[in-house]
Amino acid sequence: MSETLADFSLGKKIQAKGIIQKVGVIGCGAVGQEITRTISHYGLDVVFLDLDQERIELIFKQLDQQLDDVINQWGLTTGEKRAILSRIKGTTDYADLAECDIVIETISSRKRGTSIEIRKEIFQNVEAVVRPDAIISSNIATLMISDLAAALKYPERAIGIHFILPVHKSQIIEVVRGIGSSEEAYQQVIKFAGMINKKIIRVNESPGNIVTRMMVTTINEACEILMEGVASVTDIDTAMRESSGNVYGPFELADRIGLDKILKYMDNLYQEFGDKKFKPSPIIKRLVRANYLGRINGKGFYNYQGEKAIDQTVTCAVIK
Amino acid sequence: MKVIVLNCGSSSIKYQLFEMPSKNVLAKGLVDKIGLKGSAIKHKRNDGVEAKLEGEILDHQAGIQYLLGILVSEKYGSIKDIEEIDAVGHRVVHAGEKFSGSVYITEEVIDALEECVDLAPLHNPPNLKGIYAMKELLPEVPQVGVFDTAFHQTMPPEAYLYGIPYSLYEKYKIRRYGFHGTSHKYVSKRACEILDLDYEKQKIVTCHLGNGASMAAIKGGKSVDTSMGMTPIEGLIMGTRCGDLDVGALLYIADKEETSIQNTSTLVNKFSGMIGISGVSSDMRDIQAAADNGNERAKVALEMYQYRVKKYIGAYAAAMGGVDVIVFAGGIGENDTLTRTRSLEGLEFLGLEVDREKSLNSRAKEEVISTPESRVKIIVVPTDEELMIAADTYEIVESIIEKSRY
Repeated sequence: MSETLADFSLGKKIQAKGIIQKVGVIGCGAVGQEITRTISHYGLDVVFLDLDQERIELIFKQLDQQLDDVINQWGLTTGEKRAILSRIKGTTDYADLAECDIVIETISSRKRGTSIEIRKEIFQNVEAVVRPDAIISSNIATLMISDLAAALKYPERAIGIHFILPVHKSQIIEVVRGIGSSEEAYQQVIKFAGMINKKIIRVNESPGNIVTRMMVTTINEACEILMEGVASVTDIDTAMRESSGNVYGPFELADRIGLDKILKYMDNLYQEFGDKKFKPSPIIKRLVRANYLGRINGKGFYNYQGEKAIDQTVTCAVIK
Repeated sequence: MKVIVLNCGSSSIKYQLFEMPSKNVLAKGLVDKIGLKGSAIKHKRNDGVEAKLEGEILDHQAGIQYLLGILVSEKYGSIKDIEEIDAVGHRVVHAGEKFSGSVYITEEVIDALEECVDLAPLHNPPNLKGIYAMKELLPEVPQVGVFDTAFHQTMPPEAYLYGIPYSLYEKYKIRRYGFHGTSHKYVSKRACEILDLDYEKQKIVTCHLGNGASMAAIKGGKSVDTSMGMTPIEGLIMGTRCGDLDVGALLYIADKEETSIQNTSTLVNKFSGMIGISGVSSDMRDIQAAADNGNERAKVALEMYQYRVKKYIGAYAAAMGGVDVIVFAGGIGENDTLTRTRSLEGLEFLGLEVDREKSLNSRAKEEVISTPESRVKIIVVPTDEELMIAADTYEIVESIIEKSRY
């Protein structure tokens, strides 16, 4: 059949620029998986790229489990789960990203030292295979999209998209325009956000955007209160949850994100601004050094049994 | 007069081109997966010529543009020029309290429908998209809106109000609206035509039993009660919707399972009803097969379904002070002979007598399934909402032309 719909258009109007159908996700760790699930949930195809075949199989197993959890909370039917999984492909080959309209780099920011060089390399690898008008993006919180864009031949297509955790629940994404980002690229990202049901928070490039910058200073201040012996970890969390309608208290949030990541955000922000309010609290440094990373390995500010926090790990000076 | 009827869903458009008043269907089809990958139009002309055309369909406007293109094409078309289309009829789900009948669409009507978006956030926006697209593509052609809720606007306050603070009704218009109005109206009228009864003098219970299902009490040609409420969740047990449920139970579930509002909505809309009870399927045929094989949950699911229909027949007989005609329509009402027959069992006290032989064998056609002696007439009438929309559209546009002559 060579006949297509295009042969039957009334031709009254020229169609607008194509819709977004396929999204690439580079690095499918915990955050990458959340992003992948959410995008596929809204009917878009997702190709994720990861290190090797073994990782890909593991990721599919994890995605499967996560979707089952959603089903058990009545959030999804089994038919919808099948549809979501059918739209997701895993690969180790950049060439499979060729048809993507948007590619989002979301590699782990856990490793020590700056990851900017690795991310630049990824940007170049992506640019080598995608269309000239495809958007190349990064889910970065404290790094600068302009730094990454500098590695591209067409830097105007680089836009930062910062997803907020948990990705499927939060209603916003922070969209960061770099110095050279074009209006077309920005409009495409707005369209994309609409397709995955997120509102856009428009951010001019600045380390930490809004969410991360406010969050780390709050966590730092919570650590100060703890160190001064003003209140316990649990009480500070409860107070913050109850007083401002936050879902998580500052320590719960830090444990969720991972203390090593928080530490890295703080280091980056401190380096950028040189303001001591961003300087990581000694407690966080000590916990990370002792390998207390949060939920991911079962101990952070709290001890965890499975998903549940059972008791606090840090107590501080109290005058008797 | 050539009337095109559009039923715009969130990612699809069903369309039919009618010749009125002869009611001939010239062509019909489905624009599918709008804005998604794999979008296509399936088109069928009345002489049997069919086509499935694939290609990118970005939005409703593009979809309508293509379907008009197909309708005027040499190969698959039914008309030579889009100028031949005399009127457009739109199915619109929710008109709130604004309209009690079909209307000619003006700017004011569009504004009123925009105001109803809150009440039907999933359905009204695509309906409106269809209206906007047609306005742009065929600006000279009159458009008519036919509303799912309109027929039930005759319900009295005692039937449509909920027992909650009246201020919530005033503030948000929280009340029962009912749906499937076009179908209830069509099948009840048609039943009276077939039975040669005066529509204005009957007490009719209509059972629109499809994947979504609702019943209506129609007295003197007016809907006086219906089983769906502010949303299509209330009333009968459906394929995947729970129907009537104690709100206390729902609050308890939400508390125990710690579900969000979104997930609670999915629970009652997609996990409940026949699929939730039986654990087998939302399709009555699968459930019946499972029940025949001894599946207890499938059996109880069917009994619950039938019991709920029966209860509503009784309730509506009470509401109207009797019943003269019972009408079955919709996929289940027309084809699931066992469910239909069992729903009527034990209702002889109302003065009805089922012709079991007929009731167990009549499928997908207009047929009386009560005995000749039965005081209450029971009849199957396959529903045709598109035709009803075309008929209303024709009638309204005719009257406008008529007026403009003077």
